[in-house]
Amino acid sequence: MQERVNALRQRAAQELESASTTEEVEALRRRYLGRKGELTQLLRSLPQLPQQERVAAGAALNELKEWLEQRLQERAEQLRAREQDSRLRAEAVDVTLPGRRPLVGREHVLGRMMEEIRDIFRSMGFEVVEGPELETEEFNFRRLNIPDDHPARDAQDSFYLDDEHLLRTQCTAVDVRVMPRRTPPIRVVTVGRCYRRDVVDSTHMPVFHQVDGFMVGEGIRFSDLKGVLAEFARQLWGPETRVRFQPSYFPFTEPSAEIAVSFRGRWLEIGGCGMFHPRVLEMAGIDPERYTAFAFGCGVDRPAMVRYGIDDIRLFWENDVRFLGQF
Amino acid sequence: MELVDLPTPQDPAEWEERFPMLGLGVEAVERVGDDWVFDLETTTNRPDWLGLLGVAREVAAACRGRLRPPQVHLEESDPPAAEVAWVEVADPGLCHRYVGRVVVDVRVGPSPAWMAERLERSGIRSINNVVDVTNYVMLETGQPLHAFDLDRLVGGGVVVRAARPGEVLVTLDGQERRLHPGALVIADRERVVAVGGIMGGLDTEIRPDTRRVLLESAWFHPVAVRRTARALGMRTEGSTRHERGGDPERARFAAARAAQLIQQLAGGRVLRGELDVYPEPQPPRRVSLRPARLRRVLGVEVPDEEAADILQRLEFQVERGPDRWVVTVPSHRRDVEREEDLIEEVARIYGYDRIPETLPVEVMGVGVVAPEVDAERRIRELLLRAGLTEVLTLSLVRADDLERVGIPPDHPLRRAIPLRNPLTQEHTHLRTTLLPSLVEVLRTNRARGNGDVHVFEVGRVFQASEAGWEERKAVGIAQMGRSLRGTWNLPQEAVQASFHSLKGVVEGLLEALHLQGWEIQAEPLPWLHPYRAAGLWVDGRRAGWLGELHPEVCERYDLRGRAYVAELELAPLVEAARTIPQYRPLAYTPAVERDLAVVVDSSVPAGEVVRVVREVAGGLLEACEPFDVYAGPPVPPGRKSVAVRMRFRDPARTLQSEEVERLVERVRTALRDRLAASFR
Repeated sequence: MQERVNALRQRAAQELESASTTEEVEALRRRYLGRKGELTQLLRSLPQLPQQERVAAGAALNELKEWLEQRLQERAEQLRAREQDSRLRAEAVDVTLPGRRPLVGREHVLGRMMEEIRDIFRSMGFEVVEGPELETEEFNFRRLNIPDDHPARDAQDSFYLDDEHLLRTQCTAVDVRVMPRRTPPIRVVTVGRCYRRDVVDSTHMPVFHQVDGFMVGEGIRFSDLKGVLAEFARQLWGPETRVRFQPSYFPFTEPSAEIAVSFRGRWLEIGGCGMFHPRVLEMAGIDPERYTAFAFGCGVDRPAMVRYGIDDIRLFWENDVRFLGQF
Repeated sequence: MELVDLPTPQDPAEWEERFPMLGLGVEAVERVGDDWVFDLETTTNRPDWLGLLGVAREVAAACRGRLRPPQVHLEESDPPAAEVAWVEVADPGLCHRYVGRVVVDVRVGPSPAWMAERLERSGIRSINNVVDVTNYVMLETGQPLHAFDLDRLVGGGVVVRAARPGEVLVTLDGQERRLHPGALVIADRERVVAVGGIMGGLDTEIRPDTRRVLLESAWFHPVAVRRTARALGMRTEGSTRHERGGDPERARFAAARAAQLIQQLAGGRVLRGELDVYPEPQPPRRVSLRPARLRRVLGVEVPDEEAADILQRLEFQVERGPDRWVVTVPSHRRDVEREEDLIEEVARIYGYDRIPETLPVEVMGVGVVAPEVDAERRIRELLLRAGLTEVLTLSLVRADDLERVGIPPDHPLRRAIPLRNPLTQEHTHLRTTLLPSLVEVLRTNRARGNGDVHVFEVGRVFQASEAGWEERKAVGIAQMGRSLRGTWNLPQEAVQASFHSLKGVVEGLLEALHLQGWEIQAEPLPWLHPYRAAGLWVDGRRAGWLGELHPEVCERYDLRGRAYVAELELAPLVEAARTIPQYRPLAYTPAVERDLAVVVDSSVPAGEVVRVVREVAGGLLEACEPFDVYAGPPVPPGRKSVAVRMRFRDPARTLQSEEVERLVERVRTALRDRLAASFR
């Protein structure tokens, strides 16, 4: 009996070794351990053996059964792993192929800068408003203390639609539209398009953007103007930014100043500002004895050129997607 | 410096920084030998800075120096000037003061080198010793001067008057100028001899043989000079100075100074006296100043002493009262009219950089954003999230852009507002729609080999209507090429822009705005593919259009492929949008899905099938969406199969399949009855 057991073990071992699929292993299991399996039958024949052989043969057969069950399971595991691997291998992807990328929308660099500017002033308590681009001489000039014969009214510089209407040349027009409708304290800012009769070149476009704002209250001082604009500049241009105020002239402010910020080691002129001229306040129905006000207007396009290292203003308007995708 | 005594030596290099702190912009600095040449930019309110003396006065005030104007000692000869020449102002509205001087027996010749050099450094060509003197004194004092050949003036004198119809003058530059009636001119007895304050006439100019000179030093009305210069399209050193309004008191000094220099350089004798027409001398202006207000406006404690000292250094006279000072303005500072102007003067010399940076002590408020600004921001963000890139395009377009993009002549969008004074052919009208600008963006990119362009713009459009001019905001979208990157192995139709990719963007936007009652329906528009075009309605109000750009337009713009465009009106979207969406309870009961392949006539839109399903399926229908559209065998010709998926759910209980079957049956019946549908 021991010989038969040994022979069986040897054969089973060989067959297991040569089985290449889990199905074959299963067939082997059935062949040896199934209801009519060889080993099952041997076990079943045990009672017919003589008493003295039965114990030893039973032990040998049970040992073989245990061994075989374990080997079958091991082999099945082994093959299952191999089969899964070959199935998954067939699904291998080339990780170096480009990813499927949905488009990602990009803000226009000027649009983004204007949003930033609105956010900064809003965080300083300013109300963000808008006004018409198609303006009247009344708001674009007269209410800003720019009389009919002032050089700034030169038709050379503005696009007119008729005698009274023009495309606004600055956003300060919005200030004087808003002021009569509010009671102080007022702090308002607007960001938008302006128009000037400029020949297109690398630094000029007939359409450009401006941020314009003002603040009216009892006791608004020139020093407040400096403080608010310095804060704005540090927010937009970085915490180390220095701001320079130099005397200038605008018909609607007195005193007036030009604002420059330090950026990468040089001074960049960003706009003009000052205390609203008392006549401007009067025309807006605000008592200039009781209230004082500051106002400012800054460019967006040219500062953006410096900020982002853009050397030609026309790039903003061409909308080449290779340009737009850089910001 | 010749014109100022300075208490301490000044380093010219430092003045590149100091001039701007006084309000004088430095355009350029150049070293010429030992000289520093500053090119200064002056503000329009300071005509006094258009002469060196004015700048010197500022420097003197800033460094506590003393102004040293050139001394004029005239040796006058008989006969009196008034006996050989005359000056008249016929229209005092044009000219407040006219000072004439007569110099006789001059020998016209080249100027000495020092003068020619100085003129040249200031950008003025040297002509001869008489003309050069007038220019030199203008640079020195800011007062424009002119020299006439007295012998060529008919009647031996000049009159300031308005031009008469038809008058013509050949100016010094050889140009024939047709003068409009009312133009400011100088004339002799017979004809115009100069355009006042702008340029002299050729016929009365100083020539090598000129012996007798009539010098003009006048204060012309700035507006008159400006109007005349504009009408003639002229701009000269003289007109610039006159336009800003000078100092009538300066006219006499400048005339005397010029006469003296001519005598020095060209010999000759200055005749006794001046011809001075000055009917209404201006008394000095007096302005009051409250030092307390000065400190309140500036936000800095400028001591009374310092404020008064600054004003006096600028040649203002200060009479100090307890709260209120009376300040007398010097004649060269006619720009100073009221208290704020004096405050600025003090601030300027005190130094803007010495004023602290403070934050307003006003009540703090929270910044708010006006609804129209906020709406634009939201829409912009949603479109960015949809993968579109923001563009900015000019609001000015060419006259024929609208036609080129396919808008027919009688269409309301052709009612563009024209600019009265366009600068170029490229920008003559205000755009009525974003369409031409966006198609131009596609064209530019296509021409540069950028084939995948998906962009939007939120911008203003303008239109003439019966009611007048209208300005409103619109949202424009343009798409062409692939909307996905990394498209290897993908079918083209899945990744290329299409009507439905565009519609998807629009739908996404409307959904994100929580709009309820909107509808997109086929609508042919002239600039769109006639069968791939639709209109958008929100709450029954027209809110825009979308579709494939007409193939002819694509061809015209050389797009070499299909393009998809849309334009939505901002106002109807924003007005119907809900800013605070309300929660709807989620259903947790199982849903039952049923698919139905509906075969209908090819002309029946899928939306019709869905509409019928929605109408009859009852309240348990949660969703219904087409998922396949097919034409071809076995579907009979002229018909198509629209497969729709219906999802039924009752939030309160689990649905029985029999009741769902009953609903589906009801749907089938309705489709059969209304759309002559059969089922696959």
